[in-house]
Amino acid sequence: MHGPAGTESRTDPHWRDGPWQKAGQRLTAHRPAAAGLTVLAALMLAVAAGLVAGGGPVGAALAAGHQSLSFTLLAGLGGAALGLLWAAAAVALGERAERAMMAPAAALTGLPLALALPLVGGLLGPQRGLAPMVMVAALIAAPAVAVIARDELRALLRREFLSAAQAAGIPNGRRLRRHILPNAVLPLAAAAWTALPRALMAESLASLLGLGLPAGVTGWGTAIGAAARAGDAVALAGPALLLALTLWALHGVGDGMRLAFATAFSTTAGGRR
Amino acid sequence: MSGADVIGPDDRSPLRVEGLSLLTSRDILLDRLSFAVEPGEVLALSGAAGAGKTLLLRALSGLAPKGVTVLGDIHIQGRRILVTQDGALDPLRTIGAQFTELLAHQSGMDERTALRCAAEALERFQVPAAARRLALHPHELGEAMRWRAALALAMAAEPALLLADAPAAALDPTQRVRLLSDLAAWTREAGTALLLAGRPQPDPIQADPVPSGLADRRLILAQGRLEAPEEEPTPAPPPVEPAPSGPPILSVRDLRVAFPLGRSWRGAERWLTVVDGLSIALAEGETLALLGETGSGKSVLARAILRLVPPVGGQVSWLGTDLAAAPPEAMRRARGDLQILFPDPLAAFDPLMTIGAQFAETLESLRPSRSTAQSAAQSTADRAARLAEALEEVGLPAAVLDLHPGSLRPAEAARAGLARALLPEPRLLVCDEPAATLDGSERADFLALLQAIRRRRRLALLYATQDAAEGLGIARRALVLLLGRIVESADSVVLATGARHPYSRALIAAAGLDRPALHGDPPSPLRPPTGCPLRLRCPLAHDGCAQVPPTLDPVAPGHRVACHVAQDSAQEDGKAP
Ligand code: SF4
Repeated sequence: MHGPAGTESRTDPHWRDGPWQKAGQRLTAHRPAAAGLTVLAALMLAVAAGLVAGGGPVGAALAAGHQSLSFTLLAGLGGAALGLLWAAAAVALGERAERAMMAPAAALTGLPLALALPLVGGLLGPQRGLAPMVMVAALIAAPAVAVIARDELRALLRREFLSAAQAAGIPNGRRLRRHILPNAVLPLAAAAWTALPRALMAESLASLLGLGLPAGVTGWGTAIGAAARAGDAVALAGPALLLALTLWALHGVGDGMRLAFATAFSTTAGGRR
Repeated sequence: MSGADVIGPDDRSPLRVEGLSLLTSRDILLDRLSFAVEPGEVLALSGAAGAGKTLLLRALSGLAPKGVTVLGDIHIQGRRILVTQDGALDPLRTIGAQFTELLAHQSGMDERTALRCAAEALERFQVPAAARRLALHPHELGEAMRWRAALALAMAAEPALLLADAPAAALDPTQRVRLLSDLAAWTREAGTALLLAGRPQPDPIQADPVPSGLADRRLILAQGRLEAPEEEPTPAPPPVEPAPSGPPILSVRDLRVAFPLGRSWRGAERWLTVVDGLSIALAEGETLALLGETGSGKSVLARAILRLVPPVGGQVSWLGTDLAAAPPEAMRRARGDLQILFPDPLAAFDPLMTIGAQFAETLESLRPSRSTAQSAAQSTADRAARLAEALEEVGLPAAVLDLHPGSLRPAEAARAGLARALLPEPRLLVCDEPAATLDGSERADFLALLQAIRRRRRLALLYATQDAAEGLGIARRALVLLLGRIVESADSVVLATGARHPYSRALIAAAGLDRPALHGDPPSPLRPPTGCPLRLRCPLAHDGCAQVPPTLDPVAPGHRVACHVAQDSAQEDGKAP
């Protein structure tokens, strides 16, 4: 018998690693993702350090980064949660409801939603609070997350191992807990991540126009807008650079996650085809 | 595609290779290959996945990848053309434009002549209305038509050497073998040397194409070296097993599976019928092959029997219990008896759980340990022993229990899948192309193992496959399926030598690499033709075939066919003394 005997020499030194490790390896093997992760970590540290040290144009840019990043994180998490709920509900409620729920999401992703934030900012006027702005930014990010998450969930539900679980007589509840949910984590994380760059984009655009973060809170967009109006190139460079870098890093990590996780857990990605 | 003119010292072979080695800094990829191809010769190149077939073809066409050193001599006389695995055509231009450019560039033909040449080239592959297709873009053609166009384009360039890397690998056997036979006939006639590489999947070129006349010679590449083709022992005919008697354990009556396609613009519900009123009965220990190609419904049928896809009509009963109406507890008991092997065994394991955990889950679900008297520790130990035993039965070490599916190779995954299916000690094993991901010797080993286990455990077997030779070799009886209906049913022995339905004949011919007699491409399942579903491809079709769909009627004891012509000729045979 020719040996399919488990453990003979294989060229890949990591062949024995578990699926989570392999997903991590795939993510960091994607250059922009690895670079993006490093940049984001460095940026967080720098912002934290800048808050302590402060002062000067660099300190100001980092302090503005604190506001922008906090806003992004809040709005992004909110948008991701909304989008995931949207998709999960659509898939769970059956085909007809799914079509009815996903059609508006797909239509919304086609619109330049980022413009809605300055619009709302203008309507609310200068006395606007932070919370409504976060909420609107979350709403802006949600439809895209919902569309991607729905596609991932559909693809997951078609996977063969769920048929195998059914053939093994595993009841639906247990199938959901043991097989569907764990396998949904990474693809859905990749879907959720897309909310972050969207929220940052929308906030920066609105703040640039002076219609984003409320008065007294200075984000990168606010700083760029102010510097542009004052014609101060030096003050403009810092926040503009940091904003561009952050957006690039967020996108890089997002791409990496999509490549590494969306197909990650289909074992067919492991070499054949 | 690339042209090259390398002149060997007065040697007529279009291709002569001497001591060709391909090296990277770490590995020897190909090791001192020497061979030649004569004009008009067809050489088949086979070998397992990763043996270096694609690499060799690329090196021969001067496209060796970066970082690979080429040593040795490649003498090529005349033009060489490589057709890659995807049969690359320029997606942005029409087929006609691609022909015109090639022919104008090469022989200064004007557009009208070039288009006429192109149409003639397509007609060699029996493309109907070839001139009209020249106005289409590649994406407007079906897969089969695209391959015909790609190969016709390559041949229109009049190469001295055509290198084809796993051409048309995704097509169904009846289409593919026909295409390859047409190509081989053309290259022989034109005096072109043809080097045909197989692909690692189950592939006719992997089987020996020489006896059927498809290829003249065969080279086998193994671990970077050429091996002499060994005399393959003719597979021993399957031991004639007595027809299992007794009442059927599984009986399927008028099963219908259809998927909703939404509504048409008039508001009528549209359905895609995949399995159309099928009936099967299977006795204890009986083996039945379901033969059919893409869209035949064999794999949906396999799943509908296990209720993995809900049927819209008909009945599946197991030991007299109707599974559709069975309460959950009875259904679970039936699931222990009915197990399935999936076409991609790796994908049938949850990637996040170890093999051991999934085995334990299956066992716990289908054969829960009831022994309350035993201590928990002891029953756990028992369970572990049982899992290791299951792996041993399929030839895997117990260490596999701790691995995740991602660490398994296809052959191991196939065996692990078999071990999992055997855990609950089933009585019927439904196989849906279980060896589809394996090739060569791994495939043969797996099938031999499956056969041995089936005999030992006296399992009933339902084996769905598109490879007629494989199905007929494994099962005692066979059904040929076409568009969700049975077109022929007989004992395998009868079918292998005396199939009567034109589609069964084509399927069996393709498995033996003989040119199937069906023309054209399969009809869309959304708009099947009226009357006989094979009508548009059938060489025997007459007017009556379009009007009355043939019914499945006996032509001999135990042999039923759904074909007007076959039934008529059987009647005449019957009348003749
Ligand atoms: S019924 Fe007619 S079309 Fe159908 S297979 Fe027989 S001869 Fe061909």
